[in-house]
Amino acid sequence: MTSKLTYMGVIGLAALSSVAATPAFAAGTTAGTTITNTATVDYQVGGVAQGQQSASNNFTVDRKINLLVEEVGTVTTSVVPGQANAVTTFQLTNSSNEVLDFALVATQIAGGTAAHGGTDTFNANNIRIYRDNTVTGTVGSWDVGDTLLTGYVDELVVDTAIRLFVVADIPTTAAVPAVVNGAVAGVTLRATAREGGLVGTQGAAITETTGANTAGKDTVFADIAGAAGDIARDGSHSDNDDYTVQTASLAVAKSSRVISDPFNNTTNPKLIPGAVVEYCIAVGNSGGAAATSVAINDAVPGQLTFVPGSILLGGTYTGTVPSGTCDFNGTAGGSYTAPNVSGTIASIAAGAVSTLVFRATVN
Amino acid sequence: MRTALFLLVATLMPGQALAANQVALDNNVFVERVSTDAQGKQKILLEEPKVVVPGDRLVFVLNYRNAGAQPADKFVITNPMPAAVRFADAGDTSPLVSVDGGKQWGLLSDLTVPMTDGSRRSAQPADVTHVRWAFQKPIPVGGTGKLMFRGVVK
Repeated sequence: MTSKLTYMGVIGLAALSSVAATPAFAAGTTAGTTITNTATVDYQVGGVAQGQQSASNNFTVDRKINLLVEEVGTVTTSVVPGQANAVTTFQLTNSSNEVLDFALVATQIAGGTAAHGGTDTFNANNIRIYRDNTVTGTVGSWDVGDTLLTGYVDELVVDTAIRLFVVADIPTTAAVPAVVNGAVAGVTLRATAREGGLVGTQGAAITETTGANTAGKDTVFADIAGAAGDIARDGSHSDNDDYTVQTASLAVAKSSRVISDPFNNTTNPKLIPGAVVEYCIAVGNSGGAAATSVAINDAVPGQLTFVPGSILLGGTYTGTVPSGTCDFNGTAGGSYTAPNVSGTIASIAAGAVSTLVFRATVN
Repeated sequence: MRTALFLLVATLMPGQALAANQVALDNNVFVERVSTDAQGKQKILLEEPKVVVPGDRLVFVLNYRNAGAQPADKFVITNPMPAAVRFADAGDTSPLVSVDGGKQWGLLSDLTVPMTDGSRRSAQPADVTHVRWAFQKPIPVGGTGKLMFRGVVK
């Protein structure tokens, strides 16, 4: 028999107020614990102490299944095309009042808006889940010493949070659909509570106690809703994270100017034989990541003669390639192997422009 | 308003079969659940403690009765808090409480708790280890009463 007492409105609120400030108990009393309350009465009759009376009741604490999967940090993971072992980080917390196993599944979202904005347009490859090794290696970050999980976390103790890494390989630019700058791949990590108790073995699925209450240890799901499709009180929780491709996108522009001719010298020089012409090859990076080891190669036409030692590297450019103008500056460098002028710029940051400048005379 | 609660609790247990001692004591516990109906009114249900999980609010109700032939004097009811229950409040029954395992007693607002640095802070409901009601007047023959306190499952 379950006795119920119902009363309404204001009385309820007043009665509740005294316990409303209850702090959240993350896990609390272990499931199956019997709570016994005993009260005793001491009294006298006619001035003589009488035997003590006592009364007890007891009940069993049931099992509350609660867990939390949270993305660690609130930024996307920047990746480059072809990158192996791109890492997104999650945290799993067992807020149940019992030691449990947790089945883990990492899935990719298909289309739609990813966790940090942008539309999911591609899938990563070779998705794996690692558990952080909190003893050796880089604690808190993925490294080779972390444990590759085979679909579940074993025996996660009460009130404990562990860090999980979803590790994937990013397709190359040759993949279909194209992995272009700004492309997003969303991933979801979902954990589902499983029975604990057997070390090294994933426990059985857990079902909520339905129907009538029992006097023994019942199971109550208390988890909140997670990522899309993960409802509250289903014994599982999930969260999203995503990878965003940050790659370089280069544009090249070539321009020239006349420096001098043998007759006008540098005053309004004309392109006559013997005139010195200066070329500028500008490389702009409109992508989201720096381009490194940018090699520039330019063949000098046969009608021109390269001016030795005239190569300048890493100069500036006003405006955006190709509509801006070259500033014809830089630092001496590069090399000339007839008929090619070449030079390598170590790095062109996202949004930056760098130049290679050289001079030649008209034959 | 608390009185209303007590009256309603009383109706919950009509004709308690108290033992045939001089003084009979009966100890009950309920789980206090709040639900909101379609009209947005909040209801509080007191249920038997079948499904109890950490964080649940409990109401402990003690019924006493002087079943003897003479008044019972120096009437004291003592209830140690179960280890897995955190004391919340005792409604308007103003019990004496102990925060040191039953050595010293007083109103919660008068008690202090030592801190690690040697100073003392005011006692909080969570510090309560025992609850006690000491009656000033004798309980007359056939006299009954009801006491309650609330706790939260740790």
